[in-house]
Amino acid sequence: MNKKYDAIIIGAGVIGCPISYELAKNGYKTLTVDKLADAGMGSTAASCAIVRAHYSTVDGVAMAYEGFKYWLDWENYLGNVKDEKGLARFMNTGSILLKSQGHDWRKVKSNYDVVGVDYEEWSVERIKEAVPVYDLHEFWPVRRPEDPKFFDPPTRMLEGAIFCPEGGYMSDPALSAHNIMRAAEAHGSEFLFNVEVVAVRDDGNRVTGITLKDGTQFDAPVVVNVAGPHSYKINQMAKGVWDGCNIKTKALRHEVMHVPSPEGYNYLEDGYHTSDGDVGCYYRPEVGNMFLIGSEDPKCDPQEWVDPDEFYAGKGGQGRDNQLTEAQYKAQSYRCARRVPDMQIPNQPRGVVDLYDCSDDWIPIYDKTDLPGFYLAIGSSGNQYKNAPVAGVLMAELIDKCEKGLDHDKEPLQFKLRHIGRTIDAGFFSRKREINYNSSFSVNG
Amino acid sequence: MFDAALFYLRPHVIITDPMNIYVCVKHVPDSAATIRIVEPNQIDENITFLLNPYDENAVEAAVQLKADSDDTDVIAVTVGKPAAIDTLKSALAMGADRGIHVVTGYWPDSIVTARALQAAIIKDGLPDLILTGKAAIDSDGYQTQFRLAAALDIPVATHVGSIARNDNSVTVTCGLEAGGEQVIRMRMPCVIGTAKTLNTPRYPTLPDIIKARKKEIREVSIDHLAIEPPDSRMEIIALKSAVQKRRKQMIAGSIEESVTELIRRLKGEARIPLS
Ligand SMILES: Cc1cc2nc3c(=O)[nH]c(=O)nc-3n(C[C@H](O)[C@H](O)[C@H](O)COP(=O)(O)OP(=O)(O)OC[C@H]3O[C@@H](n4cnc5c(N)ncnc54)[C@H](O)[C@@H]3O)c2cc1C
Repeated sequence: MNKKYDAIIIGAGVIGCPISYELAKNGYKTLTVDKLADAGMGSTAASCAIVRAHYSTVDGVAMAYEGFKYWLDWENYLGNVKDEKGLARFMNTGSILLKSQGHDWRKVKSNYDVVGVDYEEWSVERIKEAVPVYDLHEFWPVRRPEDPKFFDPPTRMLEGAIFCPEGGYMSDPALSAHNIMRAAEAHGSEFLFNVEVVAVRDDGNRVTGITLKDGTQFDAPVVVNVAGPHSYKINQMAKGVWDGCNIKTKALRHEVMHVPSPEGYNYLEDGYHTSDGDVGCYYRPEVGNMFLIGSEDPKCDPQEWVDPDEFYAGKGGQGRDNQLTEAQYKAQSYRCARRVPDMQIPNQPRGVVDLYDCSDDWIPIYDKTDLPGFYLAIGSSGNQYKNAPVAGVLMAELIDKCEKGLDHDKEPLQFKLRHIGRTIDAGFFSRKREINYNSSFSVNG
Repeated sequence: MFDAALFYLRPHVIITDPMNIYVCVKHVPDSAATIRIVEPNQIDENITFLLNPYDENAVEAAVQLKADSDDTDVIAVTVGKPAAIDTLKSALAMGADRGIHVVTGYWPDSIVTARALQAAIIKDGLPDLILTGKAAIDSDGYQTQFRLAAALDIPVATHVGSIARNDNSVTVTCGLEAGGEQVIRMRMPCVIGTAKTLNTPRYPTLPDIIKARKKEIREVSIDHLAIEPPDSRMEIIALKSAVQKRRKQMIAGSIEESVTELIRRLKGEARIPLS
């Protein structure tokens, strides 16, 4: 006899764990399985874990702003559970969005107004006061250092910035997933590690369970794909699911650099998370007084789509495996150093490489599928860490309503964001949607 | 050829004040890269290469000596494939004044490297000091500095933890195996192999990197240096990857006890210099 659960969650990352947590709170007996050794060890572990509200769509802003409220109130969200590893911490640095040609900041500002996000408009002088190490010239368009024009001296100044006092990053993304796992366990959720799902079973009508690599089977009327960069592989295991998705997901390689702050400047204590479309980078403080630098996917950067299994095994080859490349190290650190000219750039690259589970329009899929009982929380596209607790609530509600008869494809769930009080049409995240051209088609979502 | 070199070298130090400091640098694989062996004796070079970290100490020392005297020229020299030019650029960004790239189509052994360095340096000017790192992290040969000094018939000290310049000599301290130190005075010109403890190499900033783009790098093919072919060469027949065995160690006890034990093991077995 196979062991039975009310719901099986594939993937114990920062998005899988809150889904287990919320389902368990709603009385579901859940099993979460992961092929790695612990919660948050997948792409979550390498996440920059930045929590900021600027998105190019109103619903994107609303979800993120709702997410803030969970991070700001972390212990309560977790039900004050104890975690032997300690609790992750929200580092509320505040978030600077530089006004530049690299961001549609006017749209962001109007989205902020619609959602009611707390923000200030900063002049160049005000930014300089807050972050004296920034050079606020305009460096647009974004180029790579291989392009001789990269080094051209700038001539104009930027306009200013939009500053959100709420915003920052979580100190340890893997730990945050672990914290949520402990909270879920406190409500009876079970977690099983070092097991790989190789099949999603169905009875011809609906999903019935999963099969692991060693042949073990678990049964459940609900199975949720939260496999991060492997999401497309899991979708291909479930009958009709891949073909039923108008929006597909695939794995995109992303490098993040750690570069020492200018001498004498305490970026770790005094710095702000900054989104800098003008140089195609985002950056935030990192332990060791480092700038942690990610790319905002400007057109000049190559997109490296990879097979996640080859990537994690280090077998994809240069630019396709889990090693930093010199070219991208230089591209990101030199670009950031245009803004922070005294930044120190070691010869040896330091940082992390991981995968985005990227959807066609860089907006996630939180949805049911054409296989009844099989659900998706995928396509996080490098920008859903901050939304993880909200995604947990959304998915638990969606699953419960659909299992009780809601036809979400016809009448999409209207999802109320508890903290900010706004209702969003969950159809926004549908797998059947047409590509959303309001998206920035980048990590900015 | 060697005698001629000697003839040029000696009088130079005595009669001139401005210094020529040559820093020999090597383009090596990043220690963080995953090295794949593709043939019995080749690695897949499609990985990050950079300025040999030990040579960063040599470049730093040269740049600091330059800061002490206005009239000093710091010249970075490398022998290697075309890609090695990036390592010269790194040295220039750290403050070297110009670079010389002896271009090869292969990675030569330390005999040929030392002869190529010697020929390139002599062709370029008259050295007062030649600095190198204590070793290159790829081959770990510890040979080139000695072969270069022998080829030039000048003194050499390695593992150097401090350098004091006198009029026409330098006084250096050299680390010894057992933890002791030796203080050595050498007439210039001489070769110094720098230790990690000598200094903390600076990290260049983007303005340094931009400035370095305008600095001169002279390229010369190894074939044009007419170096004397050695009677015998070292040949790497096979490379084998180090097998990393992970051993789990459990530390039991209260938090205080286990932290104390962890520190003890890190300092002892892992040889991590914790203070
Ligand atoms: C480099 C980087 C930087 C990022 N920065 C930010 C940021 O600053 N802000 C932000 O909001 N978002 C950011 N993101 C995005 C965010 O981190 C991710 O969206 C989020 O962590 C994804 O969580 P997940 O649970 O979906 O995936 P994962 O954490 O990858 O979890 C999926 C899990 O599924 C498991 N799995 C896969 N296949 C199987 C199988 N067959 N059987 C069993 N288990 C399986 C995996 O082992 C893995 O643990 C970033 C992402 C990356 C990669």
